[in-house]
Amino acid sequence: MSQYPQCRAIEPDLLSVAAGEAGAAAVGRVEAHVASCGSCREELGQYRALEGMMATVRRAPLPDDDATLARAQLASRLADLRSRMVGFGIFPSPLGPILIGRSEQGVALVQYLPAGGSLPARVQRLLGEDAVEDRDATEGLRAELVEYLEGRRVRLDWPLDLGRMRSEFQRRVLEATAALPYGAVTSYAGIAARIGAPSAVRPVAQALRWNPLPIVIPCHRVIGTSGALTGYAGRRVELKQRLLAVEGVKTVAAHHDFKVDREAMYTMVTGDTEYCVPTCGSLLSRSLSTLTLFGTREVAEAAGFAPCTSCRPDLHPLPA
Amino acid sequence: MGRVMAEDAFEAVVGAHHAEIRRYLLRITARGSDADDLSQETFLRAFRAYRVLPPGANVRAWLFTIATNLGRNHFRAQGRRRRAYAAAAMEMRPDAPDRADGQVLAEEARTRLERVITGLPAKQRLAFIMRKMHELEYSEIGASLSCSEESARAHVFQALRKVRRSLDGHLPVEMESRS
Repeated sequence: MSQYPQCRAIEPDLLSVAAGEAGAAAVGRVEAHVASCGSCREELGQYRALEGMMATVRRAPLPDDDATLARAQLASRLADLRSRMVGFGIFPSPLGPILIGRSEQGVALVQYLPAGGSLPARVQRLLGEDAVEDRDATEGLRAELVEYLEGRRVRLDWPLDLGRMRSEFQRRVLEATAALPYGAVTSYAGIAARIGAPSAVRPVAQALRWNPLPIVIPCHRVIGTSGALTGYAGRRVELKQRLLAVEGVKTVAAHHDFKVDREAMYTMVTGDTEYCVPTCGSLLSRSLSTLTLFGTREVAEAAGFAPCTSCRPDLHPLPA
Repeated sequence: MGRVMAEDAFEAVVGAHHAEIRRYLLRITARGSDADDLSQETFLRAFRAYRVLPPGANVRAWLFTIATNLGRNHFRAQGRRRRAYAAAAMEMRPDAPDRADGQVLAEEARTRLERVITGLPAKQRLAFIMRKMHELEYSEIGASLSCSEESARAHVFQALRKVRRSLDGHLPVEMESRS
């Protein structure tokens, strides 16, 4: 048929008619054409036969058409994927853009983001390739975190997914840190002592540096033995100062850093059950590595500690 | 929470479409093990993206798109091997036993049909199988192949032309009524 222009022009209609897809107009055109063109009539017959043959093939059982194995494997791979998969949301906060990610087990990731909200490579690595943006899954967490940052909430009772720990050591460090009460401060050396590794002060600081869950696991409550805040979220020590201020911890500015004002903090020997004013006994001259500090009496008592019976911080509180 | 509901909904998606997607992949790869692997991969990918799929989206067409992309990547990676398998599968087809002439003719035509389809360029072959074996709309085929609806139709028509030409003389019955 290709030798005649009118035959070439009718071919798409011919194919549509054979497949039963053609509208009335195309059917009319084809009928008119094949009434006078024998070779196109023959082709139409062939296309119709072909359609019939394809319908037979379509209905015929396929060899190897058994999806049972693939379905079973898929079910187990989906279950595995679900347990690993992180849904995350990015939102503004008083401390700048923050990402929260949660898996089936619990909250897996809290990360400060640079202004603009882009994802640094490190955060992408932590999220893993199966992460999906899912604001709905993190909306409740977002609301609670904002309340926390505004001082309207003192606890984040979230189930945690600790699957992103770098080592068993880091897990121990972060568990000890998670046990620090709201408004309390201790030192890196203090955490090292708590996990039974008193000489591992630098490894403790490193473990906290890679905390996947800052704020929730309150690494901001861990400071240098000198009282200096020393570092936070890269070079953003001012965030640490703000988090501590929300919890009632008083700090003073000290060249490119802040320092906790020990004379303004209630003080307790770690492991003891009573808290004191800082001038009780020889507390002010003791290393911070054996002490826990509280910004207010309320947070010390909320954490279950009693006022010392000799210095009586309940009767002689520090000036507010 | 919302996630649990999304997972239940996805179970329903698997139940409704897995068998057909595997059949499609079986048709385009001609190997049960490839269809097993690629169908799983299709649904794992779908699961990752399911949450952000707009409500009311055409899930079946979307799954065909994912499966088609995976199939094409698979061909690219294994192009030579696939052709070798296809050829071997054709060679190993046992000779038709004694049967009525018409039946033998139909069988032969079907074998030829499969061989011609195997030899088509990828887009024509995929478009042809999606249209003629799974009855997808041309717009859905276009979405799967990242082309327009018109191009999708053109791919199917090109395939049909080649198939008809290659079966010339092997098409049953209606071709006998030459005038």
